[in-house]
Amino acid sequence: MKSITRVLSLLAMFSASLLANAETFVFTAIPDEDESRLQQRFNKVADYLTEQLGVEVKYIPVKSYSAAITAFRNDQVQLAWFGGLSGVQARRIVDGSEAIAQGYEDQFFKSYIIAHKSAGLTPAETLSDALKGKTFTFGSKGSTSGRLMPEFYLREHFNAAPADVFERVGFSGDHSRTIAQVQSGAYQVGAVNYSVWDAEVAAGKIDTNSVQVIWTTPTYPDYQWTIRGDVDARFGEGFKEKVRTTLLNMTDKDLLASFPRQSFVPASNADYAPIEDTAKAIGLID
Amino acid sequence: MPNNRHWEINSTGKKLALLSLLFLLSALICIPFADLKIYPSEPWRELGRIAWGFVTPWWDDPWLLVQALGQTIAFALLAVVLAVPVGMLLAMLWHWRVVRMLAASVRAVHEIFWGLLFMQLWGLSATTGLLAILIPYSGVFAKVFAEIFTRQSPLPQATLAPASDRFSRYAYTLIPQAFAELSHYVRYRFECALRSSAILGFIGLPTLGFHLETAFKQGQYSEAAALLWVFFILIATIRFWLQPKLLPVYVIAAIWLLPETPPVSGGMLWQFISEDIWPRSLQDGDLSAALSWYARVFTSEAWPALLQTLMLTQLALVLTGAIALMVYPLGSRALAGRYRLPGRGLLLVLRSTPEMMFAFVLLLLFGPSGLPAVVALALHNGGLIGFLAAGHSEKQIQRLDDPSGMNRYLYQQTPRLYPGFLAFLFYRWEVILRESAIMGILGIATLGFFIDSAFEELRYDKAFFLILVTALLNILVDSVSRRLRRVSGAEDAGGLG
Amino acid sequence: MTSVTSAEVLFRLQGHSVSHGRHRVLHDINLSIYAGEKVALIGPSGAGKSTLLDCLYPQQAAYTALCPQQGGLVDILSVYQNIYMGGLERHHALYNLWNLLRPRPADKAQVSELTRLLGIDDKLWHSVDKLSGGQRQRVAIGRALFRQQPIFFGDEPVSALDPTQAEAVLKMLIDRHQTLIVTLHNRRLALTHFNRVIALRDGFIHYDGAAADLSEQQLDALYAQ
Repeated sequence: MKSITRVLSLLAMFSASLLANAETFVFTAIPDEDESRLQQRFNKVADYLTEQLGVEVKYIPVKSYSAAITAFRNDQVQLAWFGGLSGVQARRIVDGSEAIAQGYEDQFFKSYIIAHKSAGLTPAETLSDALKGKTFTFGSKGSTSGRLMPEFYLREHFNAAPADVFERVGFSGDHSRTIAQVQSGAYQVGAVNYSVWDAEVAAGKIDTNSVQVIWTTPTYPDYQWTIRGDVDARFGEGFKEKVRTTLLNMTDKDLLASFPRQSFVPASNADYAPIEDTAKAIGLID
Repeated sequence: MPNNRHWEINSTGKKLALLSLLFLLSALICIPFADLKIYPSEPWRELGRIAWGFVTPWWDDPWLLVQALGQTIAFALLAVVLAVPVGMLLAMLWHWRVVRMLAASVRAVHEIFWGLLFMQLWGLSATTGLLAILIPYSGVFAKVFAEIFTRQSPLPQATLAPASDRFSRYAYTLIPQAFAELSHYVRYRFECALRSSAILGFIGLPTLGFHLETAFKQGQYSEAAALLWVFFILIATIRFWLQPKLLPVYVIAAIWLLPETPPVSGGMLWQFISEDIWPRSLQDGDLSAALSWYARVFTSEAWPALLQTLMLTQLALVLTGAIALMVYPLGSRALAGRYRLPGRGLLLVLRSTPEMMFAFVLLLLFGPSGLPAVVALALHNGGLIGFLAAGHSEKQIQRLDDPSGMNRYLYQQTPRLYPGFLAFLFYRWEVILRESAIMGILGIATLGFFIDSAFEELRYDKAFFLILVTALLNILVDSVSRRLRRVSGAEDAGGLG
Repeated sequence: MTSVTSAEVLFRLQGHSVSHGRHRVLHDINLSIYAGEKVALIGPSGAGKSTLLDCLYPQQAAYTALCPQQGGLVDILSVYQNIYMGGLERHHALYNLWNLLRPRPADKAQVSELTRLLGIDDKLWHSVDKLSGGQRQRVAIGRALFRQQPIFFGDEPVSALDPTQAEAVLKMLIDRHQTLIVTLHNRRLALTHFNRVIALRDGFIHYDGAAADLSEQQLDALYAQ
């Protein structure tokens, strides 16, 4: 039977319309650290949600923020754990979608600017002019903590685009790789999510003699759960509230560790206005 | 060639040498302008971890590995099984210009970008993965099949009734005539499809690349190595497990293994085609604003990126040739004798490791610039061409009184291979051009870097335009390479493109 | 089967010349061939016989069964398929595709009858690359016969057969075609089975007339070094 449905789905590949599968509530999530075993870890979260919400909940893994946004837009997922910027982008293109909860830590998120010792930079309260002419790497292009906010503060301080400030600007694609590349001196300076850095330092993965934090950004809101506006119509009145409550009541440390957050707290679209303004200021969104 | 040209050269060898010299020169000219700076770094700690990981592969969830492996094969197999008839059909209609243009434009776009495009519609589904391989491969098959057909004897066709239809004629004459060559090519292409399928994991499809990219970027090098080793073994053993008789079984298994395709509304498809990929101003009917939008994207991003891409490609191409000539004897029975096994292993590792991994390691070594990009591209493609050349070198007829060692390499094997080798290299030209896209991690703004950024920023209008520019550049390079192959007489790549 | 009426001119060349590069292969050829004529083309190697066939063929391509010198066989296909493909135009593409997988009894009967007459019926399902030169030549003739056309063009069609076989096969070809143009090296066959002989030498028509009127002397001159 299963193979027949597979055959059918293959046949249906050239036809755009398929019957909507309304029973399953699908979500996706990209955690900011440790992306391995996503499926196994988040299947547990899906099981928890299934139990609490009374509908079948499924998790699908994605590789990038843009893929998560696309899936959300195409209604292939109805709920997503987005970064600050990707959440803003998703809510702009899906009318009625809403931020319903954020991580406790996401209320006051921050980024570090880290530097290799050869750059000759020391920790300071403000960004140093000595950064000029160094090689610099961001994380992923669509990351809030690895790109958007650091770029915003760099632009504010130097009054110029990063490409004009630094000798070379790269995109490592990921916080862990940013750390690896700055630690080896391949890039002299980099921008990284504070929680990834702190976790790797705690795990002893970082040689603090060769790489250190030289500046910390002011705090900003980051990751949040965003849900599509049409879920009440599809899954029953009050479904959105039920999802929010279920998320806020998640206390199992094992489940929370997947994100990794200590708990979830309420959030709203308005909380992310600063992110949207920043993205506009940089020209990432119009 | 008409012989009224005073510079006509009557030796094929001289002609080929001159052409090679021309390429070398063009690469040398690029050097001062290309971005090849070396930055001092302390890579040893990280390189040590990578090396240690490579020799201590470890994976704790065998079921997950089997799944990823199965899906890697499933995507590749089904895509090739579907692309062969499509390519064949296009090859039969090769006399129509529109078919040739269509084939050139679909193969001009890298699988990753097809994947990114289809992902906007079908998400991370079977459809996205299949189409991303199927479409460019159909274009490649069409071109190569058509070239193979033109090399067949026209006699059998001449004895058929002029009124017999085209499809019957192909089915009874050209296809069976070329059968060995066609199936050899499809086999080779299947290996490429396995690589494409694995690499599509980088954008999220559930193939080996999905876990490979995650493990690698998180510094879990033992896990990354486990996946790579599995992939190497998969490629090395193709001839044992890919039995034509088992094909139907594999196809059924592959269909069963594919991930599900989530529902997509027709409205979404239409919105994508009619709105998303066109700039706002064009949709509003403001033609002059749309033109200035296109002009701005072209001058600020496409043009500089195009130059950067071309220069990198030129350097990478020449280095690819040099590496291929150096490594092919290591894998050839005729030259390395019974010591060829380690050489074969090296060629396998070089051609099967995704360029991105080489680029990352080289980035640690040299620092961010065009240099790691050029070397990464050259290692991967040099390994591939070296492998094909080694295969050809073994097929050469040998005599008892043949010289051995260096003399055999210089006077026999290499000169005999050289025309085919140059033809491979020209085929690879457009491939290297497409592959330079991944070099955004090095802070080098190639065309692919901007396309990737446009997708990341959800600017599909810009992504679409830049893909078009890339495709046009690719078509141009393809036609130059075809002309060069014809002029140089390096036309026949032995059906291996 | 035929729309060709007798005494009709089927082929005509007037002042026809052909060059390959700088080398002139045929010089100023004038000839007409009528329906019902059985023409043997003779002459030493390189005289232009094959080229002359190539020039004439397009004039009646739709009604001509062609048997070129190398046979034009498809190596990996069986004798049956190689003969069957002479009649591709009689069926639509799907029927032909199906025949590659599973031949229909009616077609099998027709083709095996031909192979029986040609003495290769025991090889019907062998691929032709496994056959000897003489067997391959008979397959090529089988294909031409299966075309079922009123005109036959052959370029040394029986050169690889032993004298008895050659004679029998040539008779069969003559019986089954109204008009024939055949190049031959074997003078005896040319003189005994054909009513008109065209002799070429160095691209010129050396002799064109009734076979009966061609003298030994003329023949010797034709082949003289």
